[in-house]
Amino acid sequence: MTGPAAVRPAPPAARRPEPLKPVSRSISQVGIALTVAFAILAGGAGFWQVFQSEELSTAPDNPAVIAAARNVIRGEIVDRDGTVLAMNKTDSNGDPYRLYADRVVAPVVGYASRRYGTAGLERSYGAALTGLNDPDPIRNLLRKFQADPYDPQTLTLSLSLPLQRAAVRGLGADKGAVVMLDPRTGEVLALASTPIYDASAIANPDTQEAGFAAVRDNRDEPLLTRATQGQYVPGSVFKIVTAIAGVGSGSIDANTTFEEQPQAERDGLVVNGFRIREHAGVPARTLDLAAATEVSSNIWFALAGLRTGGDNLSEYAGRMGFGEPLPFDLPTKRSQVTKGDGSAPGGFVDDTELANASYGQARTLVTPLQMALVAATVANDGQLMTPHLVTAMTGKQGTRTIDPRRLERVISPDQAAQIKAAMVRAVEGDLGRQFTSGAKVRGVTTAGKSGTAELGGEGAPHSWFIGFAPAENPTIAIAVLVERGGRGGERAAPLAGSLMSTYFEMFGR
Amino acid sequence: MTAATPALPGIFAGFRPRPRWREFQLLAIAAVAILVGSISLGLARQEPELGIENGFSFAEPVHLVIYLGVLFGVHAAQVLTGRRTDQVLLPAVALLGGISLLLMERLPQDLVVQRFFGSALGLAEVQLIWLCLALTLAGTIAIVVRSDLWLRQYKYTWAAAGVALLILTFFLGTEVNGQRLTLSFGPVSGQPSELLKVILVVFLAGYLSENRPLLVEESTRLGPFAIPPLPYLAPMVAMWAIALGIVVVQRDLGAALLFFGVFLLLIYAATGRFGYVVLGVAMFLLGAFVMYQLVPHVRTRVDVWLDPFATPQSSGYQIIQALYAFGRGGLLGSGLGGGLPTVGGGQPGGIPEVHTDFPLAALGEELGLIGVLAILGIYLVVIERGLRIAASAGDDFRSLLAAGLALVVGVQAFIIAAGNLKLIPLTGITLPFISYGGSSLLVNGIVVGLLLALSDKGVEPPPPPKPPGRIRRLAGKVIR
Repeated sequence: MTGPAAVRPAPPAARRPEPLKPVSRSISQVGIALTVAFAILAGGAGFWQVFQSEELSTAPDNPAVIAAARNVIRGEIVDRDGTVLAMNKTDSNGDPYRLYADRVVAPVVGYASRRYGTAGLERSYGAALTGLNDPDPIRNLLRKFQADPYDPQTLTLSLSLPLQRAAVRGLGADKGAVVMLDPRTGEVLALASTPIYDASAIANPDTQEAGFAAVRDNRDEPLLTRATQGQYVPGSVFKIVTAIAGVGSGSIDANTTFEEQPQAERDGLVVNGFRIREHAGVPARTLDLAAATEVSSNIWFALAGLRTGGDNLSEYAGRMGFGEPLPFDLPTKRSQVTKGDGSAPGGFVDDTELANASYGQARTLVTPLQMALVAATVANDGQLMTPHLVTAMTGKQGTRTIDPRRLERVISPDQAAQIKAAMVRAVEGDLGRQFTSGAKVRGVTTAGKSGTAELGGEGAPHSWFIGFAPAENPTIAIAVLVERGGRGGERAAPLAGSLMSTYFEMFGR
Repeated sequence: MTAATPALPGIFAGFRPRPRWREFQLLAIAAVAILVGSISLGLARQEPELGIENGFSFAEPVHLVIYLGVLFGVHAAQVLTGRRTDQVLLPAVALLGGISLLLMERLPQDLVVQRFFGSALGLAEVQLIWLCLALTLAGTIAIVVRSDLWLRQYKYTWAAAGVALLILTFFLGTEVNGQRLTLSFGPVSGQPSELLKVILVVFLAGYLSENRPLLVEESTRLGPFAIPPLPYLAPMVAMWAIALGIVVVQRDLGAALLFFGVFLLLIYAATGRFGYVVLGVAMFLLGAFVMYQLVPHVRTRVDVWLDPFATPQSSGYQIIQALYAFGRGGLLGSGLGGGLPTVGGGQPGGIPEVHTDFPLAALGEELGLIGVLAILGIYLVVIERGLRIAASAGDDFRSLLAAGLALVVGVQAFIIAAGNLKLIPLTGITLPFISYGGSSLLVNGIVVGLLLALSDKGVEPPPPPKPPGRIRRLAGKVIR
């Protein structure tokens, strides 16, 4: 600001000021400012009424949702064969309430109670089930012009009730989780989480207090869906993630060997002064990817992880969903390669943590669903499909199917084939069978990897298995976790084998 | 063109009627919109399951007849008296008033109950009375006010009256919802801060138009900014102090924001100097920061704004319910009367104080985004007409007065709409012409009336400019 503004006022003799700029000009500038301000208001209204509209109007606390849930008869939930999993009953006052076909679906379907709210799909699909929200965006827009705006949707799931029953039965009295999905489509066929609970008791107005109290006061936390929300140390099943990152980034391939590895199998591998020791049963000879996977060499994978680097490991894990809650029909917890607060590449503290994380110890935490996706990525030639449970929604206006969607191309088919071969060796190889006994499906080439997650202190480790079959053309991928189930080969691997057998008996090969 | 019109008998003797076709057409469009809204509301009220099925009907035909009657009455009065006032302002305001009437008919009637000569009037009836009075007031001022001397010459008197009102409210006001805003005289009660905003504009227009040359030309430099000569900073500081005083004493964040915003925009209009606005905003931010630290209710407001979901059942409840309402409305809305049945009042799921603080949220639910955009558009029309009147007025005083009046409406609408939309912290001021409330409607009626009067091309020209006032001479001595 220079020039006229700095001019001294005129002397008293010429008292009349120079002609001023007319106010009309600055007034029109004020008008422009207000127009901009109102445009911002319009933007704010658009934000809430268009971008946030669905989220706001389907929020469980929205009075419209609560009101609709009270009076409207919810849509049914059926499994892939049409078996009704969630149906409606009427109490003595004529008000509807929910009845569930089988306790085993509680971790998936959840409950809808007039008093205690909702959980599971009953919660995440509450707006669709009550018909408050039409899945077709255009129809949803025009819905308000119809006489009866509520169109409760029936949900068709990819879940198979018999397979779900087999999975829950297989877990038995243990706490644990099973996830089985079709790697080609991402359709989830079984999602078991034990202990299960009696959702019907919570939904029934006559038994709701006792039913909810039983769940709430249970120290085993049945309401925690372990398959999607349990965060566990993965142990050796995580080696598949390391292999994907190593092969995907070109750091290693099927023929990679490490000079120092045979010696380190005996003496341990010193990284940053910290000595990594091998578990028993690994021969002190030079191993490649398949051989190291077969005998589950911690040393080989620690070396592979160090060569791959923390940033690559985090990057490839992230492509499979690590680091964020997974996109899924049920709420999920995030899986992590590391806590991410370190200064080394990928968020690791140092090479010691990276080396330990590469065989699934350190600060690595995963959900069973996440590990099922790792297996599915290898099974589906390196392409990860978005996992989903709901395959169709049917209302008065017809059916809308939810088609499979690709989540991410993680690695190339060639790279996936190298890892697949290693996972076949881990189940079918002479030495591998000792670690994954029982995972083999008779007459079907089976691929997989067991895991034994050491938790420190006393008590049995978590027992893990991930895998898929048939290896040539996989139709089913699986992740099994049994809390404190012992070594992977003892508990999780045989359960996975038997569940995959059940799958092939039901659905053919 | 009107020379041939015969003189009228009776009270209109001496007036030459002039047709106002543009206003008539626009009023007709507004009337049709209101009628359609009423039909829509009437249809939504039918409930076949309960046996309420009265077919095609208006929601409240009597209200409609009264409202439209008054509207066209105001129009006819201006035609008969031959006034050459702005022809867009009244239809725009009438449409907002009509939307208000429909909304009040739609909300639960027991939100407001006034006993009046033995009969109880509900929300819509009371609002209808205020709307009609406001329109009548606007029309009367537009016709009767032919000179601005009574405003121009007594600006310090007006300022004194304003301060007196403020003090009266402080000592005699009754507290409602933690805000000391209401002043009662016997059966009549009102909110003086509504009137205060008009008084403020009158004073500022007088003060700024008189001292404009000095404010523009003489300045002290402070770093990169030219600030006004120190004696002229006094009113700015005084305004700032008054605004802060309103926050502390009346707990009325909205009024303080409104006063200060209008003040800054008017200073800019008068001087064209951006430096003043920067200085004012800096003072505002400083004041806001100190207030946040020291005054608990300010901090509560700001915290609720930042994260209402932290206290969803208490202080965050109102704004969360409003956001839900906006979300439910979506693009097209549910139609008048088609929103959540419990909208409003103390009912579960309703927005507390919806009729005064959150009419935009209720309209957002029922008219959708397109309705909200239309309403914002109508406000812009009102502002644009006001500023146009200001730009073409006869002299600086009239320009600044008209601009200030338009800004009072525009800035107030912005503040409460932005509060509703969670763009700024919520304040409890009204949405002009739409919110329920007598004080607000009457004062906005005065604003429209004055704007119409200022737009009249037939009134006497402004008086010749006076020699610079006493303060200017005094300031001249100080500076030299």
